[in-house]
Amino acid sequence: MTLSRFATKNAFRNRRRSFITAISIAFSLLLLTLLMSVYRGFYIDQGPPESALRLVTRHKVSLVFWLPSYYREKVRTIPGVVHVSPWNWFGGIYKDTKPENAFAQFGVDPNEIFDVIKEDRVPPDELEAFKRDRAGAAVNRALAEKHGWKVGDKVIVKGTIYPINLEVTIRAIYDSDNAFDSMFFSTEYIDQALPRVKGRTGTLYTLVDSPEHVTSVSKAIDEMFANSPQPTKTETEKGFTLSFVAQLGNVKLFILSICGAVVFAILLVSANTMAMTIRERTREVAVLKTLGFTRRTILSLYIGEAMTISLFGGLLGATGATLLMIIASKMPNGTFFTGFKVNTPTYLVALAVAALVGFVSAFFPSYSASQRNIVDGLRHIG
Amino acid sequence: MPQAAEMKSAPAATKLVQANHVSKIFTRDTFEVRALDDVSIEIAEKEFLALMGPSGSGKTTLLNMIAAIDRPTAGELLVQGENVFRYSDKKIAEWRNRHIGYIFQTFNLIPVLTAFENVELPLLLTKLNKNERRDHVMTALTLVGLGDRVHHLPKQLSGGQEQRVAIARAIVTDPTLLLADEPTGDLDSHSAAEVLEIMKRLNEEFGKTVVMVTHDPNAAAYAHTTRHLEKGMLLPG
Repeated sequence: MTLSRFATKNAFRNRRRSFITAISIAFSLLLLTLLMSVYRGFYIDQGPPESALRLVTRHKVSLVFWLPSYYREKVRTIPGVVHVSPWNWFGGIYKDTKPENAFAQFGVDPNEIFDVIKEDRVPPDELEAFKRDRAGAAVNRALAEKHGWKVGDKVIVKGTIYPINLEVTIRAIYDSDNAFDSMFFSTEYIDQALPRVKGRTGTLYTLVDSPEHVTSVSKAIDEMFANSPQPTKTETEKGFTLSFVAQLGNVKLFILSICGAVVFAILLVSANTMAMTIRERTREVAVLKTLGFTRRTILSLYIGEAMTISLFGGLLGATGATLLMIIASKMPNGTFFTGFKVNTPTYLVALAVAALVGFVSAFFPSYSASQRNIVDGLRHIG
Repeated sequence: MPQAAEMKSAPAATKLVQANHVSKIFTRDTFEVRALDDVSIEIAEKEFLALMGPSGSGKTTLLNMIAAIDRPTAGELLVQGENVFRYSDKKIAEWRNRHIGYIFQTFNLIPVLTAFENVELPLLLTKLNKNERRDHVMTALTLVGLGDRVHHLPKQLSGGQEQRVAIARAIVTDPTLLLADEPTGDLDSHSAAEVLEIMKRLNEEFGKTVVMVTHDPNAAAYAHTTRHLEKGMLLPG
């Protein structure tokens, strides 16, 4: 036996209590891991390297206002700009409004969109077919597989923003690391069906040649149109995504507040258990001291015991969150967690939080027990 | 724990414990309790001393002071010629681990540990390796007649067996001094006799100095010397 083995045995001495404490910690850590993954996905992860090179330009006031299509060619003249494509949200309904049938549709320039989104991989012959057919569409493989679409299939999407229905033919199926289901079709389709919207675009997607030029190009675009009737706001792809999140309010503060509350709650649960455990063993502490255990060893033993329980709960919770995220990402209709994942740093942070909770919750009762007079401890009846 | 032959070669008898005018005063709220009042006693090496007296007479307090788990309010207490109370708490703990074997009335075994692990506990604080620890534990358990109960948990043992495990735990570090506080208080007469026989053997065969607190005259009969305490004072021997 070793002292660590002794601590482990003590940790599960009262199995029911230790198990309930570990489960409480596991549930809290599961929630914490999920929240940290969402936070990381929103505010820390930069996505693929190509994403950092993409800029999204929209109307400065709001997305609901259009930009003139000719902005695209003006943006192209800015040094550092490699490719520019229009990007129009269609917002149509496929079959019905059931979540499993929901996916995004964007009007783009088939000739340039896959140069802007370089990480998406399209077979060359299918890309050529997509470029040639004004009524063609490109869909990601997961979406095609979900609906059983093959190249050549016709798909009808009912317009909600535009008073037209899209009747497109699948010309290309591309592979994407992005978890979101999307359909691309040519903006010309809408331009021809609705002449009144011709010459307008919702947003422009711009690919910049190097990370060093991203800021200067972004600034140059906005300065270029600063005094025009349609001033622009240009931000990175990540920033653009976060602007949607920001519409919900201060999500960052909200997530951090819940994380803080979760940690505080598990700290109380664990501290209560440890205080109870150590109080019950007052006499035993005195016996150990009589055998020659120092205060420091006693302190280490109890802290080790608490950390064993909290790390066990942390492992359960963090692993549970990882599995949940994997299951969520594979669900056919997608969930809130689609696109997020528990990565190694988040997992390790969750375990570190669990260890810290164990340490902090046990420190004060353990310290108090280690300082207690042996004679008083031996007299303790409990 | 050294082998039996090694243990027999104890040094020549000298004064192992010397208490000079030791007093202990406990303060409870606004009044004081004089647990020990100017006690002077000498305990020689290899002695088997029984301390008797009514409840509250200061027997356990004196025993605790010898084990350095309680400090005298006045007077001087030397063990092996040293005033251990001058040491730091850490050093006192180490000293206790090396020199004192303490046997409680209520055994105080750790319920989640087997007999083997309970006996091994004090050795975890030493530099012995796993094999050496195992040899010491097995020697101690065999000596108390429990070599075949090593993997039993305390709840699987009788009271007498539990106390024998506690004795094995007390002797496993080969201490100089064995202190027993009412070791037979929770045992039936048969188990009590077994425990007392073991203690007598430890004293006679292995040269251990034993100080035993007891109420029981039959238990005290195993000792060489019996001293009585009353109201904190040591009666003339």
